[in-house]
Amino acid sequence: MIPALAIKNYTLDYVTAAGPVRVLHDISLQIAPGEVLGLVGESGSGKSSLAWALMRHLPDNASEVAGSLQLGDIDLQRLSPRALTEIRGRRLGMVFQDPSTSLNPTLTIGTQITEALIRHRGLKRRDASSLAIELLGHVDLNNPAAIMRRYPHEISGGEKQRVVIATAFGCQPDVILFDEPTTALDVITGARILELFARLRRETGVAALYISHDLALVTRVADRVAVLERGRLVEQAPAADIFRAPRHANTRVLVDAVPRPERRLVHDMPRDQVLLAASDIEVQYGSGGLFRDAPPPATKKIGFEVRGGEILGLVGESGSGKSSMARALTGLARFSGKISFEAHEIHGLRDMNAAYRRDVQIIFQHPDSSLNPRHRIDEILSRPLKLYGGDLADIPRLLDQVRLPASYANRWPHQLSGGEKQRIAIARAFAARPKLVICDEITAPLDVSVQAQIIELLLSLREATGAAFLFITHDLNLIRQIAHRIAVMRRGEVVDLLPFEDFDADHVHPYTRELMAASPVPVG
Amino acid sequence: MTELFIRLMRRPQGFIGVLLLALIAAACLFGSALAPYAPEKIDFLGRFRAPGWQNWLGADQFGRDILSRLMVGARSTVPLAFIATFVGSAAGAIIGVGSAYLGGRTDEAIMRTNDAVMAIPGLLMALLLVSTLGNGAGNAVIAIAVAFAPGMARVTRSAALNVRNQDYVKAAIARGEGAHWIIFREMLPNVMAPIVIESTIRVSFAVMLFATLSFLGVGAQPPASEWGLMVADARQYMHQAPWGLIAPSAAIALTAIAFNLVGDGLRDALNPKDER
Repeated sequence: MIPALAIKNYTLDYVTAAGPVRVLHDISLQIAPGEVLGLVGESGSGKSSLAWALMRHLPDNASEVAGSLQLGDIDLQRLSPRALTEIRGRRLGMVFQDPSTSLNPTLTIGTQITEALIRHRGLKRRDASSLAIELLGHVDLNNPAAIMRRYPHEISGGEKQRVVIATAFGCQPDVILFDEPTTALDVITGARILELFARLRRETGVAALYISHDLALVTRVADRVAVLERGRLVEQAPAADIFRAPRHANTRVLVDAVPRPERRLVHDMPRDQVLLAASDIEVQYGSGGLFRDAPPPATKKIGFEVRGGEILGLVGESGSGKSSMARALTGLARFSGKISFEAHEIHGLRDMNAAYRRDVQIIFQHPDSSLNPRHRIDEILSRPLKLYGGDLADIPRLLDQVRLPASYANRWPHQLSGGEKQRIAIARAFAARPKLVICDEITAPLDVSVQAQIIELLLSLREATGAAFLFITHDLNLIRQIAHRIAVMRRGEVVDLLPFEDFDADHVHPYTRELMAASPVPVG
Repeated sequence: MTELFIRLMRRPQGFIGVLLLALIAAACLFGSALAPYAPEKIDFLGRFRAPGWQNWLGADQFGRDILSRLMVGARSTVPLAFIATFVGSAAGAIIGVGSAYLGGRTDEAIMRTNDAVMAIPGLLMALLLVSTLGNGAGNAVIAIAVAFAPGMARVTRSAALNVRNQDYVKAAIARGEGAHWIIFREMLPNVMAPIVIESTIRVSFAVMLFATLSFLGVGAQPPASEWGLMVADARQYMHQAPWGLIAPSAAIALTAIAFNLVGDGLRDALNPKDER
């Protein structure tokens, strides 16, 4: 039987000013008709390069050193540009990571989907339009005829990804490439997209290459999993086996890094005395005008307590108000309500004195944007020391604390990797010797294995300093490993505030149960 | 910095622009030493002498050598234009970044005032200020700087608004940094690229504006060999001795073109996405 997609001994270089850099070493993969192959690897492992090579959309400095790419009986490397346009979409579909950038913002959904059907299926406009409505209905979009007339900014991210998937499946390709299709979506939306993918796959029997950095997720959707490490294929195994018996050391690292709620990382109990008590916190962005109502508040009079040394988890999907809460507590957003910190009472931004600013530190989600690109690392770390009193000679110690060499003090942020930058942001927060550290989705942009290292580092810093954490995340499995108590937020309200061990009990809020069901727990 | 210079020199417009600027800078620095004659040396026998071996670019109504006057005059034209642009850009940049940082009503108030000032044409504004402050090169510099500041403030503010939303600025606010540090050390370095590019292009406007003010008699005063003034003087004898008009005009145009080319080159060189 001819495989749907066959990659043989494929080797790819990128030619840079410093000479060629090999991104893919001798890759051989086959996907049988109707099979889903998961491709897992950390960022920089070359998985996206492979996808672009298959789509024949490599950058100008790419050079294909050896190997072949076969789609059925077609040699992809020999196709002329004209023949390629016949293949793309028609025989080989692709679904990208970020649905907000893969749809053209100036065209209606209907125009974009019928255009693809007319070009690839040779349909008349009227037939294409009725087929498009049918396809959109088939991906569980409500009122598909109305969606057809809307522009991409008028529908949500999950709906956009459904439109992209409907378009890809509608052209009836032999193989579809999925490049991290749920990474840009929140947990529940992502889980529904995966359900949709599984159903469409059963119905159409399409073959797929599913690329992701999340091993737990891939084992749920794929038949077989291939692990890529720095451009080399290190392991290929059936999805069920890879978790139970990972053979290669790199696979084992990936498997171990996947957070599992039953494996607790924190064993002590918090102190009794309350460190921070927030009550009736309401954050409101923008005010109403003459002709429009004020938008609903981002958080609706919510409150919680953090005890000394406690790790309080705050989970919820995007837009639930968890980041607004962090912004209120650090004085970045106007709020009404009361915060008591130790003996100090705060009713607004003016009440936040230098001592409060020192004791409550925040670490942001994106280390790329939380470190000023025009400041060297030593200058970044010297600011809290200068502001709150400290010795500049401490900088090597701060770097050592986050397990970075002292020589990094002279570097610029862009010379560091994402995980290293996040370590610098952590070092900056701990330079103030804080009592409460607010972590706003700090591991979300990082790979699973880097995330595990960062969590381990945070826990050892907590051991050393006794600081409490307010840990904001959308990853319920991760937070159940470390938090003492977890607050679940939805649309600006706290729906559940439970000790971690109660999450398996049956008195949780229905929304919490939905969130738990959506968090992929590894198979095996 | 050296890398930026190499990238600038690799582009044809950057290379030509830098070459012309080097020539102009040499004239500013060594003009009086290199000039074949003293700029105010009057030669009655050589009145309106056509360009030739004695006076390469000809002579004016008093027989003064035009080339010498141009070379000496560079020092009173280009540096002043440069200073005016620098002062105007710096003021505009600080207003723009400050306004973006403060935000809300304050931002609105600053930018609307800025718009009101911008509505007055640059030359009119400069004339107005010079007639209030009095004639002279120093006051012309102030006038040009004031005329330039609002435009710079606009350009800088739009760049600074993006920077304002970056997490490093939020981090600075959250740790309780003062406005001074946030504006000058966190935000300004990150909006420098558009400011530098806009300023180099504006220098050429300043050269022309400065020449215009001198031409109208409110900038540099005779017998200075400022280029605009030379054009104004030569105007009466345009038909007898067109070279008296052409030479300083060409010098003004050349300077403007040089700064524009460097500005264009810098815009490409500072854009890291344009890696070729």
